[in-house]
Amino acid sequence: MTLIEEIHSTTPIHRETDAGGLRGLRVRGLHKVLGGRTIIDNLDLTVRDGELVSLLGPSGCGKTTTLRMIAGFLAPDAGSIQVHDREVSDLGAEKRPSAMVFQNYALWPHMTVQNNVGFPLKLRRLGKKEIEQRVDAVLALVNLLHHKNSRPARISGGEQQRVALARALVQEPELLLLDEPLSNLDAKLRVKVREDIREIQQRLGITTLIVTHDQEEAISMSDRIAVMNAGKIEQFSRPAELYSRPETEFVATFIGSLNRIEGALVNGVIVPGDDVVGIRPEDVVFTLHASFDARPAVVERVVPHGHFHEIYLKRDDATLRAFASGLPPAPGDRGHASIQNALTFRQGRLVTTTRVTA
Amino acid sequence: MTLAPTRGSKRRAIATPAVARRPLGFFLALPPIILILLFVGFPIVLAFAFSIGLTGGLNHVIASIGLNVHEAENWWGTPAAYIEVLSNSRILRDLSVTVGVTALSTVTVIFLALGIGLFLKLRGGRIARLLSGLAIIPLFIPVVIASWAIVTFYSGDGFVRSVFAQFGVEAPVWAFTMVAVVIGSVWTSLPFAVLMITSGLQAIPNAMIEAARDAGAGFLRIVVSILIPMAFVPILIAVTFTAIGVVGSFTVPYFTGPNAPNMLGVSMSNYFSAFNQPQQSVVMAFIVFVIASGIAAAYVWANFRSAKDQGKV
Ligand SMILES: Nc1ncnc2c1ncn2[C@@H]1O[C@H](COP(=O)(O)OP(=O)(O)OP(=O)(O)O)[C@@H](O)[C@H]1O
Ligand SMILES: [Mg+2]
Repeated sequence: MTLIEEIHSTTPIHRETDAGGLRGLRVRGLHKVLGGRTIIDNLDLTVRDGELVSLLGPSGCGKTTTLRMIAGFLAPDAGSIQVHDREVSDLGAEKRPSAMVFQNYALWPHMTVQNNVGFPLKLRRLGKKEIEQRVDAVLALVNLLHHKNSRPARISGGEQQRVALARALVQEPELLLLDEPLSNLDAKLRVKVREDIREIQQRLGITTLIVTHDQEEAISMSDRIAVMNAGKIEQFSRPAELYSRPETEFVATFIGSLNRIEGALVNGVIVPGDDVVGIRPEDVVFTLHASFDARPAVVERVVPHGHFHEIYLKRDDATLRAFASGLPPAPGDRGHASIQNALTFRQGRLVTTTRVTA
Repeated sequence: MTLAPTRGSKRRAIATPAVARRPLGFFLALPPIILILLFVGFPIVLAFAFSIGLTGGLNHVIASIGLNVHEAENWWGTPAAYIEVLSNSRILRDLSVTVGVTALSTVTVIFLALGIGLFLKLRGGRIARLLSGLAIIPLFIPVVIASWAIVTFYSGDGFVRSVFAQFGVEAPVWAFTMVAVVIGSVWTSLPFAVLMITSGLQAIPNAMIEAARDAGAGFLRIVVSILIPMAFVPILIAVTFTAIGVVGSFTVPYFTGPNAPNMLGVSMSNYFSAFNQPQQSVVMAFIVFVIASGIAAAYVWANFRSAKDQGKV
């Protein structure tokens, strides 16, 4: 609670809450026990009107469970779920103002694309004319008008994904929920579709909650990210902040890459201690010549990653990973390595950030 | 360029056995085909020839033993036997009883199987599993025994009437009536329909149902717009197999039904042995065959259409 409130006050985002209350989604004290195990543990989450929030976390941490409770497919043991200031936790999924995009799209194979998208409107007893207009409009939005009369089995995975999105959007939901919407697409298409989703979401200003375990996906599309671990939200902040100021050791290791060393950082040198020092590889600088805060280092291993290399540097106090672009050094090369930034964690929580400046 | 010939010859080397295997496959399939042609196809042709009055050749013996045989005076036959059968009011009553029992039993069976399947799919739980398990039991009980059980259960001095009599209520006698025939037909057809329909419904991913709920669909909508269309082929298989099974049934109507009117299966047997009118019996068999083929044709057509709908053809 305090964690989230504090971040609210430190990170003002484009749309502020209305005076009367909160538009968007507000989850309080959500709790769920499944199979005798606490899966969701007193979870709070706020998604502001028009905001896109990612629920990011390792496999099995309870992301899908949380989303299914918000969508109404699973009843929480305790807690409240409010959408646009209306309590929905007692409503069935069919009565909630949210729409969901399923991981495997869940398009009905016996209906054409047009009928799939039009189904929610048909249930609202809209006129044939109006249904057709709205279906056409939303299919144009996701660029699929030419597949209007195709069956789901006859279109590609990326197109099916967009049909699923269209079927959710056509309902003009107050809340859009997506469960790993991109996990079935290949890497290239994933980037394209996530840009499409983000663009449409921003254009329509629709409040959105996305579940993902792909940090790159979360970082590139979200206004804010809620990092989940073992049924709890560890940190809820903007992507940049999540990376530069992780509040817990879990978040620091989960987001990006981290040199995790037990000890303390004193004058650019690791000394024994009870704390944990976390150093981003890009904050480790390797040079051939000496500088005032650098210590001698030997290149142990070089791992190519395409456009950059990961190098393992052995110093007398620790072994550090660093990133190098351009021509990489070879194993056995000698040089100097310095630490530019470091995070110090005590009992799993961030206590200080150290910035070493020349 | 030196690669090209090698690759070509390699492909030929792979292709040759496949071509060589084709006649082999044909020969492997030949014994069952010959068996069917000889022991099923040939008698059918003979029987049809007999039914249109071609009584020479292999039909000679049966034609000379049977009574009331219509003989053709030309090589293409005569519809006389068909006309006789179809203008016999007794047989026509049997025909309408057959169609009625078939329709009623099929509707009941599908209704029950759908109910159990939907209960299992949408609710689940121990009761649903128990129900679907119970519905399979008739599969393991011989039809003759079941028929006798039904007769004694509903007979004048049977269980039902005895129980009702305890409370001074006069229960109807259903043994040797069409009601008992329908009950027996439902009993024998239920296991297959339940197996078929429940497995068809279970194969539908839950996400399909959840997506419909998310779109705002209630129970009835989900059943009508999502579950039944998606399990259409298994349901259709259940319908056709049930209908074909009932239309040609013998044991159940023979043991539990009245003397007359009864289903064509029983009349056929009566005409063949008791009345010694084999030609009329064969004609009835062909009438039942035409009804069954009509059901089968509907099945093939609908199956093809749904495959086309889903983009498989
Ligand atoms: N019906 C259930 N009964 C018992 N345990 C369950 C049930 N459903 C989920 N769980 C458990 O709850 C935990 C969280 O599951 P959930 O599906 O929410 O994970 P997730 O964060 O979505 O993971 P992933 O990224 O792999 O999809 C898992 O450990 C899972 O085993
Ligand atoms: Mg999941």
